[in-house]
Amino acid sequence: MFLDKEEKAMAAGEYGQGIQKCMDYLIKFGEAFGAEKMVKISSAHTMPKEPVELLREMTEGAAGTGAFTTLHAAMSAFSARNWKAMGLPETFASTELDLYNQRRDIYTKLGFIQTYTCLPMLVGNIPNKGDYISWIGSGAQLLANSLFGARCNRDGTVINLAAAITGRAPLHGLFLDENRHAQVLVTFKGLDFGKLTHADLGAIGYYVGAKAQNRNVVMDGIPVRLDIDQIKYMMAPLAVSGAVSICHVVGLTPEAPSLEAALGNREPEEVITVGRKEMKESMDQYAWNGEDVDMAVFGCPHLSISEIKVMAELLREKKLKNNKRLWAGMPFQHYFLAEEMGLAKIIEDAGGVFASACMATIPDSPIPDGVKVIATNSFKAAHYITRFSKGRVKVVIGDMDKCVDAVTANHRKGGNS
Amino acid sequence: MKMKGRVINGGEVTGEAFVLDIPFSFIGDFDPRTGKLEVKGHPLYGQSIAHKVLICPTGKGGTIAPFIAYDALKAGNAPAAILCAKADPILCESALVIGIPILDGFDKNSLQSIKTGQTVSVSGNEIAIS
Repeated sequence: MFLDKEEKAMAAGEYGQGIQKCMDYLIKFGEAFGAEKMVKISSAHTMPKEPVELLREMTEGAAGTGAFTTLHAAMSAFSARNWKAMGLPETFASTELDLYNQRRDIYTKLGFIQTYTCLPMLVGNIPNKGDYISWIGSGAQLLANSLFGARCNRDGTVINLAAAITGRAPLHGLFLDENRHAQVLVTFKGLDFGKLTHADLGAIGYYVGAKAQNRNVVMDGIPVRLDIDQIKYMMAPLAVSGAVSICHVVGLTPEAPSLEAALGNREPEEVITVGRKEMKESMDQYAWNGEDVDMAVFGCPHLSISEIKVMAELLREKKLKNNKRLWAGMPFQHYFLAEEMGLAKIIEDAGGVFASACMATIPDSPIPDGVKVIATNSFKAAHYITRFSKGRVKVVIGDMDKCVDAVTANHRKGGNS
Repeated sequence: MKMKGRVINGGEVTGEAFVLDIPFSFIGDFDPRTGKLEVKGHPLYGQSIAHKVLICPTGKGGTIAPFIAYDALKAGNAPAAILCAKADPILCESALVIGIPILDGFDKNSLQSIKTGQTVSVSGNEIAIS
């Protein structure tokens, strides 16, 4: 593998033992997957769940990260700021807090941007088209490749951290033009896109992901311009029921000015047509047949400020019913924005809790007793909570307004609820 | 019996073979606190992989798996080496971070002809089974 002068120096240990170790991983990994050289990455996004000793080993002697590096939401419901309000037990939280603080010292010293979100583009990590990046998190990877046209492989947590520390990654996989074209074409029939809700869009993505598996996708024939929230709900499930890394949308995403361009002037391997029947297949897996709901979960992937605004409107003059909960996952930076705008107060007065945590993996922490049924507008959350809780929790899908209605009652200020 | 593979991470070790017929991940399929295989219904369910030469067709998903492999190493429950037909990225980085030999490029059927419990020695790009 070709290494430039600086990369050779890194490999020789001239920048310290941590960088040497990281470069050793990257070289061996790159050679295993046929990379001819390293490239500089413009940004990284890493998983703040490293064994602390490993984080120390891989950063030993390093003065800072090698690229602008943001942090993912830690897997589990643990939110350093809000675990108490979420009802997580102290025994669990104190262990997590200790690790969080140990890691934070290292992050602060090395200049990691401590975002704790699954969507770093919401808080300032915005790649350009064609940039090489190393991001963790299947949803973030998919959006970075698709929506921004940045180049991101599905790295594991160690190669990803090594890339963040050195600022380099091996040139392979989705970094290369020839691997970015679509193999699977998705077309639509009988859908009025103007009327599809976030849950509906998720149903499309969940259906397509299961069919496409790990192949690249192009969607053609979407007559409206989807906004970033709609794109998020449609695309995130592609990497949940499947392992899709790129989803082009003809006329919308940067590498799909035309269907031919997205397909690389080849015929698609497979054409999938999605209509109401296919969406129902997804919906039926998390059908809501009148079950009483104990908790509403939003923010998978993390909520944008527009969604927080909508949620606050839905919760105005409402209050959670007895023993019911509402968790909202978001980057904490959005909490401060919501606080400034008076939205946080409305949501918290109603009993909602903000969490800078991963809503898909909440069963990795002790979910409060009594939570047996969860309602969410996210197929990603529904899929993972169902699996990680091993059936202890039933998850049903509904739009945000329906989920809010299920856990709240009207409450006028000054009156009795 | 001897076989040749491709070295991704080199080293010299000898250990007992632990032969899986399914793709392996350190997350979900394995408990780092005990070193045991956690694939329900598998004939080797509950058997320890610790200090053994793990043989499998390939790896699979779970991007956080390398951290779990590291936890297993610190608990003294990591395998001694990994041999596979084709290494996937996650299995590859899991082996790299715990510093054990990983070789791929073996013929899948030849690998599966090795029996759990046989002794496997890894040296350079060559393995010897006895």
